[in-house]
Amino acid sequence: MSERRPYRRPMSPTWWANPPYRAYTLRELTGVAVAIYGLVLFFGLVCLALGPGAYDGYLAFLRSPFSIVLHLLLLAAMVYHVVTWFETLPKTQPKLIVDGKPFPAKKMTDIAIKVGAGCSLVLLLIAIWVGR
Amino acid sequence: MDHIDADVLIIGAGGAGLRAAIAAAEADPSLTIALVSKVLPMRSHTVAAEGGSAGVIQAHDSLENHFNDTVHGGDWLCEQDVVEFFVERCTPELIQLEHWGCPWSRKPDGQINVRAFGGMKIERTWFAADRSGFHILHTLFQTSTKYPSIKRFDEYFCIDLLIDDGRAQGATVFSPSTGEFTAITARAVILATGGAGRVFRQNTNGGIVTGDGMALAYRHGVPLRDMEFMQYHPTCMPGTGILFTEACRGEGGHLLNKDGYRFLQDYGLGPVTAEPRNKTMELGPRDRLSQAIWQEERKGRTMTTPAGESYVHLDLRHLGAAKLKERLPLICDLAEEFMGIDPATAPIPVRPAVHYTMGGIEVDIRTATTLAGLYAAGECSSVGIHGANRLGSNSLGELTVFGHVAGDEAVKFAKGAPAAQGGKLLDQAKASAAKVLGLRDQKGGGERHAVLRKEMATTMEKGCGIYREASEMQKTCDKLAELKRRYRDITLEDRSSVWNTDWICAVELGYQLDVAEAVAYSALMRRESRGAHQRIDGFEKRDDVNFLAHSLANYRDGAAPEISYGPVKITKSQPGERAYGALGEALEAKEASHA
Amino acid sequence: MPEAATAVKTVELKILRYRPASDERPAFGSFKVPYTEDMSVLEALQTIKDTLDGTLSFRWSCRMAVCGSCGMMINGKPQLACNTLLRNLPPGPVTIEPLNNFPIERDLVVSVGDFVKKIESIYPYIIPKEPKTVAEGPYLQTPAQLAAYESFSDCINCMLCYAACPQFGENPNFIGPGAMALLQRYNGDSRDGGQQKRLDTIHGEDGVWSCTAVGYCSEVCPKQVDPANAVNQNKTNSAFDFFLRFLRPGGAR
Repeated sequence: MSERRPYRRPMSPTWWANPPYRAYTLRELTGVAVAIYGLVLFFGLVCLALGPGAYDGYLAFLRSPFSIVLHLLLLAAMVYHVVTWFETLPKTQPKLIVDGKPFPAKKMTDIAIKVGAGCSLVLLLIAIWVGR
Repeated sequence: MDHIDADVLIIGAGGAGLRAAIAAAEADPSLTIALVSKVLPMRSHTVAAEGGSAGVIQAHDSLENHFNDTVHGGDWLCEQDVVEFFVERCTPELIQLEHWGCPWSRKPDGQINVRAFGGMKIERTWFAADRSGFHILHTLFQTSTKYPSIKRFDEYFCIDLLIDDGRAQGATVFSPSTGEFTAITARAVILATGGAGRVFRQNTNGGIVTGDGMALAYRHGVPLRDMEFMQYHPTCMPGTGILFTEACRGEGGHLLNKDGYRFLQDYGLGPVTAEPRNKTMELGPRDRLSQAIWQEERKGRTMTTPAGESYVHLDLRHLGAAKLKERLPLICDLAEEFMGIDPATAPIPVRPAVHYTMGGIEVDIRTATTLAGLYAAGECSSVGIHGANRLGSNSLGELTVFGHVAGDEAVKFAKGAPAAQGGKLLDQAKASAAKVLGLRDQKGGGERHAVLRKEMATTMEKGCGIYREASEMQKTCDKLAELKRRYRDITLEDRSSVWNTDWICAVELGYQLDVAEAVAYSALMRRESRGAHQRIDGFEKRDDVNFLAHSLANYRDGAAPEISYGPVKITKSQPGERAYGALGEALEAKEASHA
Repeated sequence: MPEAATAVKTVELKILRYRPASDERPAFGSFKVPYTEDMSVLEALQTIKDTLDGTLSFRWSCRMAVCGSCGMMINGKPQLACNTLLRNLPPGPVTIEPLNNFPIERDLVVSVGDFVKKIESIYPYIIPKEPKTVAEGPYLQTPAQLAAYESFSDCINCMLCYAACPQFGENPNFIGPGAMALLQRYNGDSRDGGQQKRLDTIHGEDGVWSCTAVGYCSEVCPKQVDPANAVNQNKTNSAFDFFLRFLRPGGAR
């Protein structure tokens, strides 16, 4: 009879909360920020449908300190999510070969971040122009 | 004990074993092929080969050139008919590997690229960056999974051959994982177990390179041929012995002594040229370069590490970071990780270390040993292509060419041989299992085998190093006899059965001691200097009258090996002066004008 | 032994030991070995085995980070013991455990059989797009075509990426990063025509879809193979294939 008796170590139930996985968990969690912001917008739409009174109330909520802090938090979470997502981006697509050599992942991330930041800036300018 | 019956049994799943398995599976898909390896196949030491594999492909090259380079390089101790056969088959085997997916480095137009190598007149070394052996091994392993008739026994350790009726008919193997023994019977057996470089202290070899197959065949009366020819590779990491490929020099690297001087010009390898020149300076053969480094050390022109190892510099700086990264990425990683050196900005300290066992189990051109049904291929064998000094990039070719032959020949033999009969063979298997179990459980005198292993490696280096003299070799022989006595009385700390690596190492040491003895006695008896066997005790010259002959070490139980000699097959190339650099070119020109 | 009496610098290794014949479960054992500047973790382990405790078991061979034998958790990170030098580790004891996520056979030796089966399952060989005989010579492959799969072909099967992958830890049947790198090595090869066949092996939870793009597998890879890239680009391929199969003749099954 063989004495073989492989031992399977259990995974730590909190593996996701500790390095090296903490950054990944944060990336996934910050995705929730998008959903929360979507809810805020959806709430605005509902208020708009309910009539001017409700909509004014919604605007007042947006101007409240609580809302401003919430939006700042959501913005920070979104930025973290976007940057880390762009860091993951090169891993999600076929190898890009330029001049017979693999295109460096870091460069791809840098370009994506710059394009993302540029688009956000243009959107912001449009929003400011529309809201004049 | 389990019993498994196969048609062909292959022991060792490195380059040669895998190539043999594929050849056998293709030759007759109806046969069962058992492929035994003491490690996962991709761990086999073929994985560590870096530089590449020779095969004539350029229009201005020829098979005759490859033949001449090989025979001259081997100091005429080659079987010339085998070399001729070999060089013809190298390129087709390399193309076959290409078809199987080996990622050979390419020219811009998509053709195979080749690089220069030591002792080769024309560039003919196919390479996959500086991971050629790695890619060949993985290509072969992965391709082998396509053949359902190949039944692999990964991580099974071979403890003995099964021999009956004058034929090899299988082997007893042991699974470290389960701790159980299995008898594998077969109608033909191929040994492809690799070299024995670990019997030396400073070496480039993996821990698994312990001469298992050599010792197994040897103990059963098959001679080990030309064992005195151990190859020292000139450019290895001081201390660990980790290899810096010859391709470093093929790509244009320089060797410098402590004064920054390209010292090889003092050893008949000049002239110094700006561009690398084939068969000149750093592109000389390994034996000459290792010997030159040894001489420099004697002259006090080398440097010394804090641990006391002397070294010279391998300078790659002038190649530039981009080329280094493209052609020698592994070398850059090794220098960086182990030594904290960037080869683009600093020279790499290097020294010679044992690299390759040029001798081995005597086989003929069909890879057949003197024992019916037993074949051998790759580093464990001596098929006769390396002679007294192997040229870099001829060993990977050997794996594929003769692995292929061994697979075909074993199939042929198996089809003509009666099926293995269980009874007697199983009794043998049980006896050999009992013997290694005895080693595990014996009380012994309390000595660890690790102590013996160190002493063996030290005495081998001392007596059978780059330069040799009778008194030191005799001391080594005596020391080995003492170590064999002490080996019988070792005590293992580990008596358990699952993954008992203490035990496996002890069995391997038994193999190593037998092979070491064959090396030392073969060296002692060769009273001349040829290729990698250089003496400094009055036998400094090559002696074709008495020693243009293969040494044959024959095992004698409980006694020193008996050394006899066999003829060398000479067909086209009469022994001449072996020279490199300017003199080599002059001699070649003279020869050409005669022809 | 009073340490002050010896001038030799030492290093302490805390090693997770497990001997199936005698131990109910793994437990740490501690060893002290003489330290040198150029010592790797592997050499420290060898010193223990040769001089202190011959019963310590671990796999190793090439010593130069190419055979893939000596992967283990070193201070909690999957690394090769041979190219991890003690001088590069933080001071203090070094913790050594077998690779995470694999069953422990004994001490630092883990089960490798399932991993090998995964490699074998993805048709790891060229299925020629245009078959050719040896006499017809090699295929052409430009450096750019080579670069498209070259990094995936550099995988040494050391399994560090599996030890890094929490999803493999949760689901041992997940094909995992290493085997996917090998799949992409062949799927990306200009000589190969077996893409569809291999794609069929990786749909579903045990295929690419267990991956949540943690990315740690690529970080720990000692050969810059980037297995995360292999897995994630094949999520796209798998998704496309799922929809396109309805368009292929006889595709929807």
